[in-house]
Amino acid sequence: MARLTRRQLTNLLGALGVAATLGGLAFGLPAIDRSLPSERAISTDEPYPIGAGVTVVPPAGAVLDVTGTRPGDTEGTALFRLGPVRYAIAVRPFDGDLTAAAERLRKRIVDTTGYQVTGAQLTVSTAGGLAGLQGGYTAPGRGGRYAVFVAGGHTIEVTISGNDLDLGRTLPQIDASTRTLRQDGEPQ
Amino acid sequence: MIALTREPAFWVVLTLLIAGGVRMTQLAGHFFTAYPRATALSVLLFALLAVPFWLFVSELDFIEREPAELLALAFAWGALVATTVSIPGSAALENLVAKLGSPHLAADWGAAIAGPAVEEVAKTLGVVAVVLIARSQVNSVLDGIVYGAMVGLGFQIAEDIVFAVGAVALAGQGDQVQPVIATFLLRGFLSGIWSHTLFGALAGAGIGYLVVKRERSRPHRVGVAVLAVLGAWASHALWNSPVLVDGLGNGTLALLGVLLIKGLPPLLLILWLVRRVHDREADYYAGWLAGLGDPQLITAGELEVLGSGSRRAAARRLAGEHAGREASAAVRRLQRAQARLAVELSRADPEAAAVRAAAVRDQRAVLRRLGHPEAVAGPVTWRHRASTIATTAVAIAVLWVALSALGGA
Repeated sequence: MARLTRRQLTNLLGALGVAATLGGLAFGLPAIDRSLPSERAISTDEPYPIGAGVTVVPPAGAVLDVTGTRPGDTEGTALFRLGPVRYAIAVRPFDGDLTAAAERLRKRIVDTTGYQVTGAQLTVSTAGGLAGLQGGYTAPGRGGRYAVFVAGGHTIEVTISGNDLDLGRTLPQIDASTRTLRQDGEPQ
Repeated sequence: MIALTREPAFWVVLTLLIAGGVRMTQLAGHFFTAYPRATALSVLLFALLAVPFWLFVSELDFIEREPAELLALAFAWGALVATTVSIPGSAALENLVAKLGSPHLAADWGAAIAGPAVEEVAKTLGVVAVVLIARSQVNSVLDGIVYGAMVGLGFQIAEDIVFAVGAVALAGQGDQVQPVIATFLLRGFLSGIWSHTLFGALAGAGIGYLVVKRERSRPHRVGVAVLAVLGAWASHALWNSPVLVDGLGNGTLALLGVLLIKGLPPLLLILWLVRRVHDREADYYAGWLAGLGDPQLITAGELEVLGSGSRRAAARRLAGEHAGREASAAVRRLQRAQARLAVELSRADPEAAAVRAAAVRDQRAVLRRLGHPEAVAGPVTWRHRASTIATTAVAIAVLWVALSALGGA
């Protein structure tokens, strides 16, 4: 077996240094990210700003997951967790009506491998009078609910997911929270 | 290629390319399964967009051209390795910004902090990889620029395809092509020229300087390389930053103003840099040819032409006008042969230089037979000037339509 010359050894070490740096970026950064907690305590008795002037009062016992929360002036997302249940709200610019918004969300759900929408859609409304549509979906090992509203040129998409037992336990608080959704300028 | 395999680094780089290729193929497989029509269109459109960029970048170093396999390797690094690393790395760093700062900070500055920090490092390592496996092919700062730009181009094309299909998924209207076209206009035309190709070129210039300028002290060379990578990082961060996110008002001109303010400084910087190192390299090789003192190989007029892309094109045009398309093609071959001769002379390889000199004499004979013996540039004709103005007008019109279509109007 041929031995490596000094120059070849330097060359090999350089290449391994490149690979190690890439490994640090691809695996090291995510490992550091995972090692730090992403949940923050949050007040559940005052509105939380999601984005584009949309607020919601988080459900009792919820914490904020900062990895899924990105507030903004024109759009935004908020991710709350109630134990293993995931309660996500996304606000995005939209120029269609409620039916189109609901269809868009349902399509995105079923485009995810293994996800299926279940049952018919029901109307829902918030305390401030925002009209919306809600429905359910299933995914491998978990179930989910969605709701969608349209207000002020934006769509407000709510998705809730978890196993059936946890969902059944937390849905009343989450439904109560969803009813507090409102956009700036809308009556209290 | 056989010479490349002798370096141990080649096998490490090959492994990284294969790993990146597998990951990106998996991603493409998901895209094609969910949105076959939109994915196929985005691959087609962005592959077509890559062609003029590729031709432009590979022509930058006309005299001492980079081998096609190394250009392909640099492109593949950007498209397969840098993207594979950047997708989880950038997401994790943005999460860290949210965790250590706040979700507001991550929303406003996450893209400006996380994207450049991870992506510029991953791309710059592509130029380092080229140096490791083919050190003899990186012998000017311009070579670093070319390889850096090629890595950036590969990254840009792969990222654009991911964004285009992501826009289709977000639209929630199934396998529709409109989001692909909107992404193509936005990322292809409006962001295309001052995107990753440019940032990669700047970082590549630094690596080229580090490797080539042996007459300078190591700290000096390292300092220049770090400055260049930081420059690429800063240009990228400025582009991604929320600065002027609300624009300069409404309308196409306002949107164009924002694009120019955020994109023009790095574009001008890299153009200046390319011009400077290109002219220096051209003068160096012209000196070798001038030293021959043989007008059969190169005349004084041709020496003036060889170092400039526009003058080389002018010489081909003049040949075409005087002696037809065959003469224009022969001038192109003559210029190529002269450039290769200059490179072999600089490498002090008499046998290879003799072969190249024979190739030059062959093309000279062709030109003489066609009645156009010297490949010099002619004066700028009114037809050429009109064509340049028309092309510029069309480019501005396309840009205007793209800006208007994307909400600038």
